[in-house]
Amino acid sequence: MENNNIPVEETVTDEIDMNDPSLFEMAIADDSESEHITAPVYSYWGSVFRRFFSSKIAIAMMIVAATIILFAFIQPMFSNYSPMVAPNINNKSMHYIRPFKMAGYPFGTDDVGNSLFDALWAGTKNSLIIALVSTLICEVVGIIVGMFWGFSKKVDAVMIEVYNVLSNIPTTLIAMILVYTMGGGFAQLIFALCVTSWIGTAYFIRVQVMIIRDREYNLASQCLGTPTWKIIINNIFPYLISVIITSVSRDVPSFISYEVALSFMGVGISQEYASLGRMVQKYAAYMTTASYLFWIPVATSAVICVSLYIVGQVLADASDPRTHMV
Amino acid sequence: MANDKEVLLDVQDLEITFYNGKTPFRAVKGVNFQIYKGETFGLVGESGSGKTTIGRAIIRLNPNSNGQILYKGKRIDGKLTKSEKREVVRNIQMIFQDPAASLNERATIDYCVSEGLMNFHLYEDEADRQRKVDEALSSVGLLPEHKSRYPHEFSGGQRQRVGIARAMIMEPEFIIADEPISALDVSIRAQVLNLMNKFKEERGLTYLFIAHDLSVVRYFADRIGVIHNGEIVEIAPTEELFSYPLHPYTLSLLQAVPMPDPVIEKQKEVIVYSEEPRDPADGVPTLKEVRPGHFVFMTDNEMDGYQAKLAEMIKEAEKQ
Amino acid sequence: MKDPILSVKNIEVKFKVRDRVLTAIRNISLDFEEHKVVAIVGESGSGKSVFTKTFTGMLDLNGEVTQGEIWFEGKNLCEFKTDAEWEQIRGKKIATVFQDPMTSLNPVRTIGYQISEVIIKHQGKSKAEAKKEAIELMEKVGIRDAERRYDEYPFMYSGGMRQRIVIAIALACHPKILICDEPTTALDVTIQAQIIKLIKDLAKEYDFTTIYITHDLGVVANVADNVAVMYGGQIIEYGTVEDIFYDSRHPYTWGLLSSLPQLGLKGEKLFAIRGTPPSLFNKIQGDAFAPRSNYAMKIDFLKEPPVFHVSDTHWAKTWLLDPRAPKVEKPEAIRDLHERMVELTKKGGTYGKR
Repeated sequence: MENNNIPVEETVTDEIDMNDPSLFEMAIADDSESEHITAPVYSYWGSVFRRFFSSKIAIAMMIVAATIILFAFIQPMFSNYSPMVAPNINNKSMHYIRPFKMAGYPFGTDDVGNSLFDALWAGTKNSLIIALVSTLICEVVGIIVGMFWGFSKKVDAVMIEVYNVLSNIPTTLIAMILVYTMGGGFAQLIFALCVTSWIGTAYFIRVQVMIIRDREYNLASQCLGTPTWKIIINNIFPYLISVIITSVSRDVPSFISYEVALSFMGVGISQEYASLGRMVQKYAAYMTTASYLFWIPVATSAVICVSLYIVGQVLADASDPRTHMV
Repeated sequence: MANDKEVLLDVQDLEITFYNGKTPFRAVKGVNFQIYKGETFGLVGESGSGKTTIGRAIIRLNPNSNGQILYKGKRIDGKLTKSEKREVVRNIQMIFQDPAASLNERATIDYCVSEGLMNFHLYEDEADRQRKVDEALSSVGLLPEHKSRYPHEFSGGQRQRVGIARAMIMEPEFIIADEPISALDVSIRAQVLNLMNKFKEERGLTYLFIAHDLSVVRYFADRIGVIHNGEIVEIAPTEELFSYPLHPYTLSLLQAVPMPDPVIEKQKEVIVYSEEPRDPADGVPTLKEVRPGHFVFMTDNEMDGYQAKLAEMIKEAEKQ
Repeated sequence: MKDPILSVKNIEVKFKVRDRVLTAIRNISLDFEEHKVVAIVGESGSGKSVFTKTFTGMLDLNGEVTQGEIWFEGKNLCEFKTDAEWEQIRGKKIATVFQDPMTSLNPVRTIGYQISEVIIKHQGKSKAEAKKEAIELMEKVGIRDAERRYDEYPFMYSGGMRQRIVIAIALACHPKILICDEPTTALDVTIQAQIIKLIKDLAKEYDFTTIYITHDLGVVANVADNVAVMYGGQIIEYGTVEDIFYDSRHPYTWGLLSSLPQLGLKGEKLFAIRGTPPSLFNKIQGDAFAPRSNYAMKIDFLKEPPVFHVSDTHWAKTWLLDPRAPKVEKPEAIRDLHERMVELTKKGGTYGKR
């Protein structure tokens, strides 16, 4: 080595001059030095999105779901499809056109010559509205009730009885009776779907709250004089974000399936509205003669359910802070 | 002696019952003790002895089923008005055992430390609040830059100091420290003990120090109460208790403390304490004063025996 | 010195956590002498548990021994590939007692079943013979009324009793080495004293070598013949128990000892080790303890100290032992540790009969 003047700051171990007596001088580190945190500032939502977008399948599924949702809300604005209008009903040549056979009718036509493509998007839109609104109602009611239910022993005593009654009545049965008596409008159907389902969400939240409720940090908040409502909002709710997302990601697909199932049984939304359920019900009769009429709506609802579910699950996972460490 | 000092906390016949379904379980069975202003009272017992339950009853986390708790002569158990509760919170604070469990992981350090301030709006404006938080953090050796961080970014010792800062910012007079160092690594226990001592000197705090280990309270406490199965079996000033432990349970607890000295430790015998059944005809045992300030849990006819034992111990000590 | 029962040479252990690599053990060599109790002391993250887990192939899946040899009964354990090979060692020759007895016991099987299962498997005895031996073992570990308690479940036992059962299971195969990984940390002090004594007595009767892992220097003083102090994935000081307590040389050992509240005098400030332990994700340069040490020299931040021998039985890795280093005094609290302890414990009935 040519250079004999090794600088004192040099830290490469091989190059230390062991004869340098200053090496054995006391060099006590600064106290506050070790208190610094060098890691970049942690941000909860930043970490959630980083985790979420690190999953390729989640991104793919999100693109699928977003495309379907966008299409469902935009395409009907142009097609103005209504199941009650059938301009080609007397033109037999326009009936039962197979998919991809005629320009302007990518999914072919049905028994009255209406475009299945238009019908599908109008139906998807309505089914999505029903599912999303129902989910919103169920979650909001369920979370609010569930929080108090889990937190207060007095509320628990009452609610557990209510739960025992409500959860033992099948949702489908209640919905059928309600739709029969009230009619099959949007509002009625959503009410019928939500009237018992919220209790499931509330119960789910209650269990989660009970797990978190007695943790020591909540006792610490009590010792600092924090009122219960503030403990619920600041101490309990943030811990529930992940389980709430899980619950939402189960609710949306299950409401879509409910709508399909109810319509299939003939008690869903009324004839004047298009919906995936209505389509499946109406076209089931053509399963052997024109099976595409049945399978295209079924496949669409399956794709929506699966993609939304996967997106929700990955997001729920990403929003659990335990996955953010290290 | 201690008798002319002002009594800050007076626990009288405290009884705490838990219910497992319908079956009652008496965790604390009629406990009496007093804590004087400015002293550190150590409450020592093993798991299930009821020591944590008592601490939590004082700070109103556990309701009591009998007896009363007086703070500066006023009852602080049972139903209180809003302003009375506020007084309790402002004067009495708690340091928890597990720093990993006792901080809200989803809140910033800023929120954790100023939670109490915000509940009672104990600051003039936002700048004043910031200043108070900065001061509280630096008083425990943390930095203002830590405010925007989350608890999981800190080490165990740092978190425990956040827990201390959160209690201290309320400027309490009385602190309940529930095993504040047992969950910490050995190398940082001394840091936390020194910090608690510093606050005691600076602010004239009174501590109730709950521990399972007599060696820590010997260093830290002025008087010690030994609790076993929900009953206090012995109360004495620290040196008195270590010099003349009278109750057999105290003796077995003392003996069990592992001492960091191989010569002493290897000579030691293990004493197994088993409670002897008492004859109900002897009467109900209570805490009785054997000599000023030294109380032992016993029946009336055991007094002579304990006094003889004490005399013998003193004689033995003088010989050495 | 006789041939060691277990000999560790230059081992290094790494863990993959997410995308980062953590070096948990950094080049440790140590010989374990037969019948000598070795206590491994260190705080959490020092690598003390990981170190002994390499003897039984029980590292977590993301960890591996990347370097070194572990010699036991003529075999290099680091060359083991299959579970079948480990089965011959783990439990059979080298058994472990963990901190939480509940994790070692199956909650839905009776205590008796769990002990005799091991006896049947490892000694090939019949059911009746196994039951007889299991009850004998239960009595040996201090379970009163063993015959009746044979059919009880773990939840019906107290923490201390469960730990006795775990010890009984460990002894069922007559191991050569018993690793006690913080066996009493979760227990009350009075129970701790009993369990420690039990392990000592059994070591004589069953003729095994004990390796203790603990953070409690009081326990170390009681049980150990030799002590290894670990910090930042290395053994930084090793010696007989007297060497370590009365004549320690590494500033970390000094810090550990003098910060003990047992040694604190009322009104005197406790010696406190500053700062926090190092992150093993980072490359450690020089002496890992240097940033926290009150005795650090420039060289401590630059170059890892070699092993300096103090005596035949005692060595330490600290530059303070280099002849060029300045003479420093160790903290006051431990300068005359024994005298101080005697003073603290002499009066009256303190600490009972000795």
